[in-house]
Amino acid sequence: MRHRSGLLAAAAILALSATSALAQQTYKIGSSVGLTGYAAVNDRAWRDSLLLAAETLNAKGGVLGKKVEIVAEDNRSEPQEAVVGYRKMMSNDQVQIFDSGCVSAGNFAAAGSVVRAQIPMVLCSILPQRPEEQKWAFSVLPPPRFEIEARYQHLKDKTDIRKVGILHDPTPYAMLMKDLGSKIAKDMGMEVVAVESYKQDDADVSVQLGRMNAAGAGAVIKMGQGGSTVTTAKNIKALGLDKMLLLASLDDGATFKQAGEVLGDRFLFVAPGVQIPESIPAGPAKDAADAFLKVWQAKYGDRDPNAGARAWDSFMLIVAAVEKAKSTEGPAVRDALETLPSIQGSFAQFNFSPEQHVGITKNPFEIGVVRGGKLVALK
Amino acid sequence: MTSPAITSTRASWRDHAGSWLPVLATLALLGVGLSSSGYIVTVLGFAAIYGVFSTGLNFFMGYTGQASFGQNAFAALGGYGSAILTAGHGMEPVLALLIATTVSVAIAFAVGYPTLRLRGHYLAMATFALGLITYEITIEWTSLTQGYMGYSGIPPIGLFGYELVTEKQMLVVLVAFALLGVWISNRLRRSRFGRALAAIAGSEPAAAALGVNVAGYKLVAFVIAAAYGSVAGSLFAHFVGFISPEVFGTSMVVLSFTMLYLGGIGTTWGPLVGAVIVSLLPEALRGLKELQDVAYCVILVAILIFAPRGLAGFAPAIKQFFNRGAAAKAE
Repeated sequence: MRHRSGLLAAAAILALSATSALAQQTYKIGSSVGLTGYAAVNDRAWRDSLLLAAETLNAKGGVLGKKVEIVAEDNRSEPQEAVVGYRKMMSNDQVQIFDSGCVSAGNFAAAGSVVRAQIPMVLCSILPQRPEEQKWAFSVLPPPRFEIEARYQHLKDKTDIRKVGILHDPTPYAMLMKDLGSKIAKDMGMEVVAVESYKQDDADVSVQLGRMNAAGAGAVIKMGQGGSTVTTAKNIKALGLDKMLLLASLDDGATFKQAGEVLGDRFLFVAPGVQIPESIPAGPAKDAADAFLKVWQAKYGDRDPNAGARAWDSFMLIVAAVEKAKSTEGPAVRDALETLPSIQGSFAQFNFSPEQHVGITKNPFEIGVVRGGKLVALK
Repeated sequence: MTSPAITSTRASWRDHAGSWLPVLATLALLGVGLSSSGYIVTVLGFAAIYGVFSTGLNFFMGYTGQASFGQNAFAALGGYGSAILTAGHGMEPVLALLIATTVSVAIAFAVGYPTLRLRGHYLAMATFALGLITYEITIEWTSLTQGYMGYSGIPPIGLFGYELVTEKQMLVVLVAFALLGVWISNRLRRSRFGRALAAIAGSEPAAAALGVNVAGYKLVAFVIAAAYGSVAGSLFAHFVGFISPEVFGTSMVVLSFTMLYLGGIGTTWGPLVGAVIVSLLPEALRGLKELQDVAYCVILVAILIFAPRGLAGFAPAIKQFFNRGAAAKAE
């Protein structure tokens, strides 16, 4: 009996040490993603791309000899759920860094406790507002200015349209774009004649479009994602606004294709090179996009690569920071992220610094159009 | 021969066991929280906050038998009131909570006075509109609420400069608020006021015939529910440190209804029991990943089928069990 107890104790100790050793050999990356709710399209792609990136890296041996494990928790696109998920990943799963999706409010709500635990966050969303939280957060979202500049520049260079209307939803990113859009219009030779808002679940924006048309807007600069873009396109057509252009913001390819079917060449959108790969000239950017697309398309076929590419890049940035820091400790990785050299990703080039926690500093956007059911660059 | 168990005026511990059981269970949960990770503390913290919210809603929906789909409006008032006063103007959190609650009570009175003359579906629609209007205000009045950007930097609850720094300290306070809320609810339910509400819930014309000021009592129940909702909103803001309009959306109404009906609407402890179950159950099922929602709904439906009066509906059976035990011992 005593002999059996001794064996059991030895087995327990071995099991414990094996678990501990396994934990030390694993680098855990937490991800709070909206797998359901308004952010589902983007965040599902974000989660899937992180898993794909981890699988690819682990096949090559991992980072610093450790396998990478992605712990993803669904925040249902709600801040309260995000807080619970973040705390679970911190205290139960003991993740060492976060690489989270596009639910800004969820990331903001959890930022306080994440920062107190000294865990860095790489985010699909904009940065939290407080400086002490921004110190630990890094955004791979293009600054709102780039989307607007690309569209204004196109109108200025390729059309006679100088009067535009801004149509925005109330999300933080769209609100930032709306303010900037009004501010920089004059500098770019444009005039904003109407600013109208809508809710993401609005089934009709005819009233807003009618006001814009009455104010003389020749193009709608839309700021916001999802089905509302298709609704806007349908409303423009139904109202008989035959000369009005619709320029949509960064979104999933499926949305673009639907809107393009309605308005044809009058529907334009901003897109990173990876979304219309033939637009990228040969060079490092093309190589990075192709490297991602090869793995992505092998697994997901013609699924839109927009959100997936950014998630892939965010993962590679974390890996680069861990390798630079030669450590997986939160503060060391945070410091390394700030001092990474310029890195060419599949979505864009990233340039972080102690003063610059929004990594995309060069405009990565092209103007695209839907032709033959495909997204192509407008030449 | 007369049984002492029947004639004795001294109540044994078994007589009170049924009443004390929920308190002990709540304290046991608190004990579990205090010895657990931050994750469990967070989940229990939200359960306590929703316990306060649902207990308030129970005054209006359970005790008084009225419909309210707009209680989230008062949680938003409390939450944003506390956030603006503390993070925006540096006020003491407890003082901010009290001011926000006072404002909510005043608004509830002003809104409730004309609205509560409505009945049935009309009252339900009016309260629903109240919730939607408040939600829209939190989104659109960005100079005050910061819209979807949300309000961050809200300090933890505290008084005279002393802040509850750790989550476990905050959990103790949240549970204390929940228990205080239930205690007040219990006292009021057993009072003349509570009996008047029960009469209104049974039949408004009959209550009026008995001399009950129906409109007045309904208004007071609505205002009390608003005060609870406001306190819950303030507690949420101080617990999380961040609020945004989504927190106080229609999902809050749906969640609180689930808590009420699952725990037992019209019972004293039901709302808190429902809040704990609805908060803990999804976490217990989190491992099921994509099937989590399916399993959660199946369990909820099963509970409602087998316990149509809510989990608190089992309370008489539990009391009977203890009483039977006492009688058996006496024999």
